[in-house]
Amino acid sequence: MSKLLSVGYWVFFSFILLFIALPMVVVLAASVSPTSHVTFEFWTWTLEWFGKLWTSKWLDPFILSAKIAAIVAVISGVLATLGAYAVAYEKCPGHDAIMSFLLSPLAVPQIVKGVAIVLFLSSAGLFRYLGTPGLIAGHIILTVPFAVRMIATSMYNFDKNLDRAARILGASWWQRIRYVLLPLIKPGIFSGMTFAFIISFNNVPLSLFLVRPGQSTLPITVINYFEYSLDPILAAVNVASLLFILAVIFLFERIGGFTVQIHGGSK
Amino acid sequence: MRLGGTMPSLRGYVPLIPPVTILMMFFALPMGMMIGLSFQDGDTGSFSLTSYERFFTDDLALDGFFRTIVMSGLVAVCVTVMSYPIAYFLARSTSRWRAVVFALAIAPELAGVVLRTYGWLIILEDQGFVNDLVIQLGLIDRPLPLSHNMFGVVVGLTHVLLPFGILSLLTNIQGIDPNLEKSAQILGASRLSVLRHIILPLSVPGIVSSLLIAFTLAASAYATPALLGGIKFSVLATMIYQQVLFYINWPYAAVMANVLLVIVLAIAFTGARLESRLNSKLHVR
Amino acid sequence: MSAAEIADIELVGVTKSYGGNVVVVDNVSLTVPRGEFVSILGPSGCGKTTTLNMIAGFHEPSSGEIRIRGRNQVGVPPEKRNIGLVFQNYALFPHMTVQENVAFGPKMKGQSKSETEEAVRSALKSVRLEGYESRYPKELSGGQQQRTALARAIAPRPSVLLLDEPLSNLDLKLREAMRIELKEVQQQLGMTFVYVTHDQEEAMSMSDRVVVMSDGVVAQEGRPSEIYQNPVSAFVADFIGKSNLLPVKQARDHDGRLTLTLGGGLSLVSERSGDIPANDITLCCIRPENVQLARKGASGENLLTGRVDKLVNLGAHAELWVDVSKDCLLKVQVPVRRLQGIEIGSHVDLLIESAAIQPLAH
Ligand SMILES: Nc1ncnc2c1ncn2[C@@H]1O[C@H](COP(=O)(O)OP(=O)(O)OP(=O)(O)O)[C@@H](O)[C@H]1O
Ligand SMILES: [Mg+2]
Repeated sequence: MSKLLSVGYWVFFSFILLFIALPMVVVLAASVSPTSHVTFEFWTWTLEWFGKLWTSKWLDPFILSAKIAAIVAVISGVLATLGAYAVAYEKCPGHDAIMSFLLSPLAVPQIVKGVAIVLFLSSAGLFRYLGTPGLIAGHIILTVPFAVRMIATSMYNFDKNLDRAARILGASWWQRIRYVLLPLIKPGIFSGMTFAFIISFNNVPLSLFLVRPGQSTLPITVINYFEYSLDPILAAVNVASLLFILAVIFLFERIGGFTVQIHGGSK
Repeated sequence: MRLGGTMPSLRGYVPLIPPVTILMMFFALPMGMMIGLSFQDGDTGSFSLTSYERFFTDDLALDGFFRTIVMSGLVAVCVTVMSYPIAYFLARSTSRWRAVVFALAIAPELAGVVLRTYGWLIILEDQGFVNDLVIQLGLIDRPLPLSHNMFGVVVGLTHVLLPFGILSLLTNIQGIDPNLEKSAQILGASRLSVLRHIILPLSVPGIVSSLLIAFTLAASAYATPALLGGIKFSVLATMIYQQVLFYINWPYAAVMANVLLVIVLAIAFTGARLESRLNSKLHVR
Repeated sequence: MSAAEIADIELVGVTKSYGGNVVVVDNVSLTVPRGEFVSILGPSGCGKTTTLNMIAGFHEPSSGEIRIRGRNQVGVPPEKRNIGLVFQNYALFPHMTVQENVAFGPKMKGQSKSETEEAVRSALKSVRLEGYESRYPKELSGGQQQRTALARAIAPRPSVLLLDEPLSNLDLKLREAMRIELKEVQQQLGMTFVYVTHDQEEAMSMSDRVVVMSDGVVAQEGRPSEIYQNPVSAFVADFIGKSNLLPVKQARDHDGRLTLTLGGGLSLVSERSGDIPANDITLCCIRPENVQLARKGASGENLLTGRVDKLVNLGAHAELWVDVSKDCLLKVQVPVRRLQGIEIGSHVDLLIESAAIQPLAH
């Protein structure tokens, strides 16, 4: 009985892992298969689909998405750091309520936020701002709460005695921020920014409402394309954008060092 | 750090000006306008409930509404059932496979919903991976209807939302003292009864939070139902999109968005209360 | 006034209360002359850290005045007070090396690069931590972290150094070694130290002066030996060292000699009439080492007889609990070599010098 249970558990466990991995593996295989028929005969694999991405049809949306994601990451990093500083570090009066407000967009489905922003832009006569500006504004609403949460966590974990130590050593407010607080919460800020970048780069539900002809993000372009056909070039686009995301994570990690604890060893 | 009145306390709020302004302008204000719009008459602009009346008497809309509920319910259950073994393994294992499983469980988040949906389309469509395989094996002669229906959507959404289920269960199970299991085993309980009498009851809060988060996220998902469900598969999210971009009926879109918002908020609210009640009852953590 | 007479720190009637009614520090006055090592000693929660934080400027007193080098500090922020502070958990900057940690103060004060380097070098030399400049705090032992914290605090050459239980995270051996080093550093630099601790041995061994605090008020202030020998209250007597506190039923004054009547028909003679009127005396304090074993058949005043109830051998000396009357158990400390023939149940004669009996009012 117990033996059977344990075998059953491991079978189910493996099935779930397979389930998780399968679509990724299939997309990878599709991106290198010579025809639209996915094959695992690796000796026939080819990179020709990736070569076909080098046209403005795919490059333009890619560049737009990357540009928007970078701007969104920086702006939400700044906004969230400011918010988290007041709420989690200085604990200004009413900080709990303000924190709830900063996190409140998380409670609203993206598609609802999308409708709201489109209605707002149109009734405020700002419809011409669809496209890049609208996408940036919309994505920021989405990413700021995540970034606030991450940065606030690192501010809550900050040992206030370090600030006092710096203070009694003669450091001014700005010097304490610059030399003590910021270096120590940098990993939090960078993980928030990385998160913001990924969310923005991959976003569909908000972008749907905010793109406009000629200014479409990569995921939206892909979706529009694959409502008509399942060309393997789509697999190549998806794999390429995944690789790009991984490269960005690697880069941000390099600068921000958010996966390692503060200097375990060598600098 | 305010010192005996040398610093006016309002200064503490200065850093909040940029983030709060942005959220006010692009979130709070638009939400208020949208909610207001749903109570307006389309022509005269005066207060009216006609849009809501229309929604609750429109068979197509109600159909989409109930499909949203059914789909989200199925997804919530699938996500939770499939997350549990993974979360339990991650909470308890010390093997070196733990890191691998963790990466595998969370990595799909990086890939984005489009890639994953595309993968499932390749796998599930009529000339897709699975159908090819079973037809070649001679098990059937006509393709199974795996995509462009509820099945395909539930599979796709389950895949998209598994990381959320795993993370909420993981937090909960990590809070259960492993010594409880050991002491039950020493007292002679079999693996099965440890699971039934110790672990499952203690992880009820985690199960609840996994169900709720999966439900609300499934109910608000757009891309997966739109792409894996096919044209005829309509849920609130896809109907909202159509009202905005094709019918350009904004008050009606606002109504649907509000209905979705109310569902999600109601579930999140009752869920949060239920969870804290369960947690305080079980003294987990 | 000559330089040596300027008080580095003066607290005048300093009170700190939270929410108007919770008084944490109550009317504390204190003067710390330049170059002195003063300990604030008291049990947990008595307000030591709060007092220190007020001197440092992290809290403003609710009333009273704090002066540093003769200047009132109201409204002066900590970064302008030019004092050093060593934290209980060290609060070393985890992202900086030892060198960078110690250089932080001089740098913030705007010293030049060469001045800073010189300050770091001499501070690290004082705490004997040369050669560790490029390590991060995580890579140091507890004792080395402690030295780094000390070096960082003294590098900007503050005139006053505040230390909040700086040794409490170290093990016993290291703690004892660090006591000596701290004292050496203090003497070498001629700096004023205000040292907060709940460990009376620490306070007694290092300080020029000890301030005993209890529940937010100063219970007694004086040189360590003075406080030990002449505690002014049962609290101080009990908190500092070991003591027998015996209730006094009646006290009578005969020209500076006091006759104290205790319970169980005992009576003792004390030569320390002190300042307390005989009528106010309710207790007397006798240190265990001041009770001696008397030779058999000795006679005279303050001679007691009793039965040994408990005996604890501590190596060099032993502690006896002697039942001298129905409700009076006297703690006695004797050298181990005097223990011959004494065991639990033996009857012993005890002698207490009349000068060693301290009458107390409360
Ligand atoms: N912000 C505050 N509000 C109310 N009471 C406080 C506050 N801060 C400290 N106290 C109280 O003040 C008292 C003294 O605290 P303090 O930290 O000065 O004690 P301490 O003597 O340093 O004790 P320890 O040896 O444990 O460090 C304590 O009873 C504490 O509960
Ligand atoms: Mg303290």
